[in-house]
Amino acid sequence: MRASGGSVQSKLVEIILSPDAEVRNRSVDAFARAASLAELHAECAALDTFRRQSPNLYERVRALFFLYAIHRFHLPFKPGLPSTGFVPFDGYTFLLNRRFEEAIDVFLRAEAVHGPGEALSSALAEAYHSLGFQTLADQVRRSVRSVSGNQWMFRIGHPADQPLRIRPELFRRSASSGLFPILQETTPVRMDLSHSAWSDIFFLGMDYPEAARVLNVSIDLSIRGDGAQPRPPVEAYFRVIDEPLVRLASVDLGVTADITGLPEVFDFARDYLGLLKAALIASGIVPPGLEGSEQSLGDLLARLVGPDHGIELVSSVNNIPKGSRLAVSTNLLAALIAVCMRATGQARSLEGPLAEHERRLVAARAILGEWLAGSGGGWQDSGGVWPGVKLIEGVAASDGDPEYGVSRGRLLPDHTILGTDAVSSETRQNLQDSLVLVHGGMAQNVGPILEMVTEKYLLRSEAEWAGRAEACRILDQIVGDLQRGDIRAIGAATMRNFAGPLQTIIPWASNLYTEMLIERARVEFGADFWGFWMLGGMSGGGMGFIFDPGVKLRAQDRMQEIMCDAKSRLDKALPFAMDPVVYDFAINERGTWAQLLSDENSAPPLMPPGYYAITLPALIRRDRRNLPELQRAEMSRFGLACRTEPAFAGMVPTLFDRLLPRGETDAEQNSGLERTLADFGFDRLQHEQIRGDLRAGRIGLAQNHLPIAADIRDVEPDDVRHVTPETLSPAELEALQQIGMDALADGTVAVVTLAGGIGSRWTQGAGVVKALHPFAKLGGRHRSFIEVHLAKSRRISRLAGTPIPHVITTSYLTHAPIEQYLAWAENYGYEGPLMLSPGRNIGLRMVPMTRDLRFAWEEMPQQLLDEQAQKMRDSLHAALLEWARQTGEGSDYTDNVPMQCLHPVGHWFEVPNLLKNGVLARLLEARPNLQYLMVHNVDALGTDVDPVTLAVVMQTGGAMTAEVIARVIEDRGGGLARVDGRLRLLEGLAMPREEDEFGLSYYNSNTSWLHIDRLLTVFGLTRADLANAEKVAIAVRALGARMPTYITLKDVKKRWGHGQEDVFPVAQFEKLWGDMTALPELDSRFLVVPRRRGQNLKDQAQLDGWLRDGSAAFVDALCAWQ
Amino acid sequence: MKISKAVITAAGRNQRTLPLQTLIDRDGVQKSVLAIIAEEVLRAHIEEICVVVCPGDESAYADAVGEHATRLTFIPQPEPFGYGHALYCTRDFVGGEPFLHLVGDHLYVSRSQLGCAEQLVEVAQNEACAVSAVQASRESLLPYYGAVGGQRVPGRQDLYAIQDVIEKPTPTEAEQRLLVPGLRAGHYLCFFGMHVLTPTVMEILGRHVAPLRTPGAHGGATLALALAELASRERYLALERPWWRYDVGVKYGLLSAQLSLALSGADRDQVLAQLLELLALRELQHA
Repeated sequence: MRASGGSVQSKLVEIILSPDAEVRNRSVDAFARAASLAELHAECAALDTFRRQSPNLYERVRALFFLYAIHRFHLPFKPGLPSTGFVPFDGYTFLLNRRFEEAIDVFLRAEAVHGPGEALSSALAEAYHSLGFQTLADQVRRSVRSVSGNQWMFRIGHPADQPLRIRPELFRRSASSGLFPILQETTPVRMDLSHSAWSDIFFLGMDYPEAARVLNVSIDLSIRGDGAQPRPPVEAYFRVIDEPLVRLASVDLGVTADITGLPEVFDFARDYLGLLKAALIASGIVPPGLEGSEQSLGDLLARLVGPDHGIELVSSVNNIPKGSRLAVSTNLLAALIAVCMRATGQARSLEGPLAEHERRLVAARAILGEWLAGSGGGWQDSGGVWPGVKLIEGVAASDGDPEYGVSRGRLLPDHTILGTDAVSSETRQNLQDSLVLVHGGMAQNVGPILEMVTEKYLLRSEAEWAGRAEACRILDQIVGDLQRGDIRAIGAATMRNFAGPLQTIIPWASNLYTEMLIERARVEFGADFWGFWMLGGMSGGGMGFIFDPGVKLRAQDRMQEIMCDAKSRLDKALPFAMDPVVYDFAINERGTWAQLLSDENSAPPLMPPGYYAITLPALIRRDRRNLPELQRAEMSRFGLACRTEPAFAGMVPTLFDRLLPRGETDAEQNSGLERTLADFGFDRLQHEQIRGDLRAGRIGLAQNHLPIAADIRDVEPDDVRHVTPETLSPAELEALQQIGMDALADGTVAVVTLAGGIGSRWTQGAGVVKALHPFAKLGGRHRSFIEVHLAKSRRISRLAGTPIPHVITTSYLTHAPIEQYLAWAENYGYEGPLMLSPGRNIGLRMVPMTRDLRFAWEEMPQQLLDEQAQKMRDSLHAALLEWARQTGEGSDYTDNVPMQCLHPVGHWFEVPNLLKNGVLARLLEARPNLQYLMVHNVDALGTDVDPVTLAVVMQTGGAMTAEVIARVIEDRGGGLARVDGRLRLLEGLAMPREEDEFGLSYYNSNTSWLHIDRLLTVFGLTRADLANAEKVAIAVRALGARMPTYITLKDVKKRWGHGQEDVFPVAQFEKLWGDMTALPELDSRFLVVPRRRGQNLKDQAQLDGWLRDGSAAFVDALCAWQ
Repeated sequence: MKISKAVITAAGRNQRTLPLQTLIDRDGVQKSVLAIIAEEVLRAHIEEICVVVCPGDESAYADAVGEHATRLTFIPQPEPFGYGHALYCTRDFVGGEPFLHLVGDHLYVSRSQLGCAEQLVEVAQNEACAVSAVQASRESLLPYYGAVGGQRVPGRQDLYAIQDVIEKPTPTEAEQRLLVPGLRAGHYLCFFGMHVLTPTVMEILGRHVAPLRTPGAHGGATLALALAELASRERYLALERPWWRYDVGVKYGLLSAQLSLALSGADRDQVLAQLLELLALRELQHA
């Protein structure tokens, strides 16, 4: 064995290095499950040494993922690993700056000095994981650069070196209109007929080319019911212009820009034109070697097009929504690159199809473009460039390939087109007659899925590895079925693939919506429904349902209705981006195709109609005499086309609408806002008090922090009580269990689940109610957060023999959806009292103080931009400061749609709401014995009314007992601290210095047990006072005034015109429940609970780890399903 | 193989006056560009020279070439069907023999007593096959030249067996098809404008030219396409020597050619002194 760190015989290094595939494909999990803590530590040391020494990239990457898996999934669960410890702040800073090697060194040094622990393992897991992906990404980038035909672009560092020239045909102006001809490229999209189990991720193809196989079909589309025939969904246009600049326009996104400087071309994030910029670069028109060269774009254009000339590049997508899972954006990028390559002579034919070697180059350049623009799918995605049906397969690298000696496979696969000899015309027609292709309406980011696939492939976990082998067999069956023309068998195979291997590899590929659709199709169509077929990264967007051709028309109609019905049920539970649609589709047998549009060949040299809707309004407003000659000519030609060309019919009213947009009047908007405020219990008095404080400078961004002189220390051992299995003897546990059970039987506890927030981090602003999200399969079905919480309460209720009352708090954003959903789901059959506590608090956003804007922009650390962009940002900031001053600092922000003017006010208000809205009074009336409320976040899945914890809470005797967990690296946002000597929960917003948080052992799980009477005392109330609404309101307001008010700035969008939007920073406030522990009269106690109980799931990216590390099974065991 | 004939093409419609420009040659005598090229051919011991011209240019060219006029045959290119066609117009003159070919708007300067054409002809005669002179050029110059791909002839530093020829390739094509081992990154073998060609080229050109005469046809015949075919049919070499060539048709091309001739000729010291004086008076005084 080599490079294993001296004499240590590492089993895992042996697995990585073994020439025997049987050994090499062994799973790290199987080994780690059986290994002891000491063995795992020894393996970690050997793997780390190995990965530093190995010259082979793939061995290094596998070692990195092994290290990640051990630290993430195995070490924390081995007996003997301390759960507390600190993550060094400098290591964390290195992580933030993506300096992973240095971060790992810091963490390993800390481990050597202080010993291993859960916190350090979490930090190491993150660092190894990130380094693994960075290493892979760097390698793909290097491989893309080294593809023959791409290399020269990286050598060009000066405009004078530009070797490309625009083809002479593109300079031949029309004799009649004087316009330059336009080169149009139309490209189909691709569908993956089989679902390849994501085997087209680059890493798999480069490491395991034998298994990287995809059956890929190029298709044209139209939306059913539009009356149009299917046509290639993406189009790109290229022409010469008589101005020395690059004009980019995206018709589908409604954006256009004139680019005059090279840095702008490389600034992908500046606008929505990133894809077009990536195409300019990847096609060599603006070679990537020019980035940062400080050279002039004008000089480059003079070389490429000639003096005083430039180019225009336009993209257009024909009515295909995002998330179609048909690789629309990659094929659009490929179309843009193809048109640029033709225009510069890099493809031999200006018109018609491309040659095979040219298609390969376009695909390689599309991969390059995706990496440049920071996105990236799989290598089958540019399949639309090829015609018809093709088998795409990974290829082993051989002598002469740039990958040879680096990876087992080549970066680019081979495409074998299956002609009519392999798949008959009849079969092709039958496939079209059987398949109902839909967009279910969900649009989700599949990036995390592709990362998971890579990770699981590297770890070779047993079930997933077997799943991959099964998916390979299914692909072979489908190819055979296709050759035999057996579409019914294809349906059965794709269904088997979805139900089996795909969900074994990625459980998140399915969701409740998809399963509802499959079930309904099965029930309605019985034997005529041949199978479901998943497209792309995950289901819910683009999907296929295969039917007997005899029922296809009815199936198309019914699937539309079924999808709309299911969507209306789940609209607030799952992220839908649009209404579901059914497509008409046709196999495209010619692949990408170009045509030169010119008056001479009777195709008007005009851009697509939508282009003029975005460019003409600005031109019309300009003095016609100041327009360049060609733009005047184009306007005339467009005018003629509007009168004579069918494609341009209807443009006149469209333009009219653009020029004179219709909008809601201010009065309409304001009355809507007033109504909403009244409906949701807006507290005008409190609002005025906050405004006063804000204007007077008593609260603000700078005032959120505690004073810098505040003494912030970690807790002492006696400050907390541990309620973990290791800290309690079996006898103690038994006694506590009994006490807890008795109290539960007496009806002393109710659960309060906080579900007022919308969980914007969870669904990335999709406007879904997180509490209703059926996020994972537990007990064999998809379950929502609320259903899980009710199932836990059900189990405890049954054990105790008394149903536990369960309260779900809601807000103006979540109340109606939760109420409707619970009614539809019949409260998930919950036997105990189930009540909603509607939020009676809502905030009205305010125009920010210029003081706070300055603080945010000038005193908080900000990423410095390049010179030009920084100037732009400075000028925008100056304009916004002026806006705040003129509109009135601290005044109400009402100049927007009502929902954009409101804001949630933080979870402090949720418990007082129970007092104000009568829910607590009703609870006490029904359960006079009630003493405790267990309040927890909706995403605290492991939290239940554990009798042992309850007994400890009762013994400690506090008014509020908060649960904390030992901190690991992802626990950010405050913790348990001694602040100037007082033990309390401290919010992240209040930390004077970021590093203070890294010295705190415990993180706030936000689960707290409230003793009702003691808490009421703090409010100055008794149980009897709860009937007196006025007294309660005064008491809540008085205590609320003592809570810190955190001011935050939030960017809100204001939409106007047709898709135009401006972004304004507005001020809002929040109050947080943890700050109650700062009140001297509130007797606060703190319990340390196991991580699985206290952890909150904030991000969907955490789900896979949560499932794999046993947390999901832990939660499942706490539940009693209906 | 004996080479006794040469063809100079000068029929470019927008370059008709270039061969008539006058320069002071290395021997200090004023001559036209065409005369200098003709002398380059004569130094290679070739006596029969044919110049392809635009119809009507014959007498002006005959005047420009002075004492050598009697050795030159002028053949007009009746229609502008491209470079390949211009060459094909000389098929009767060439008469089934190998021939030297130069372009009429370039001047060639060698670094030794032997002329460029003389050296090229010698190599072609020794190797008994078609040979094109080439120069390793940066990829930014690809839009101006034909370029070749191939392998070095074993044991020879300056000879390559040509496998592929592309006229004005894009860098993408060049990288995929024209990489030559031993050249610096981003460099390709581009034509120098001087070739020894075999009769096969005329036969190939004949096939390429024929369709141009059909009504409605457009475009022209390129020499590069014919040479690509030649490479697939018979041994065809590229000779890389450290020569200079000057395209008199580009901006300051004539000036550069003149300076180069002067600096490698009899008046070298005088020209250097004048240049220094010019620099001292014009530039350094202002510095």
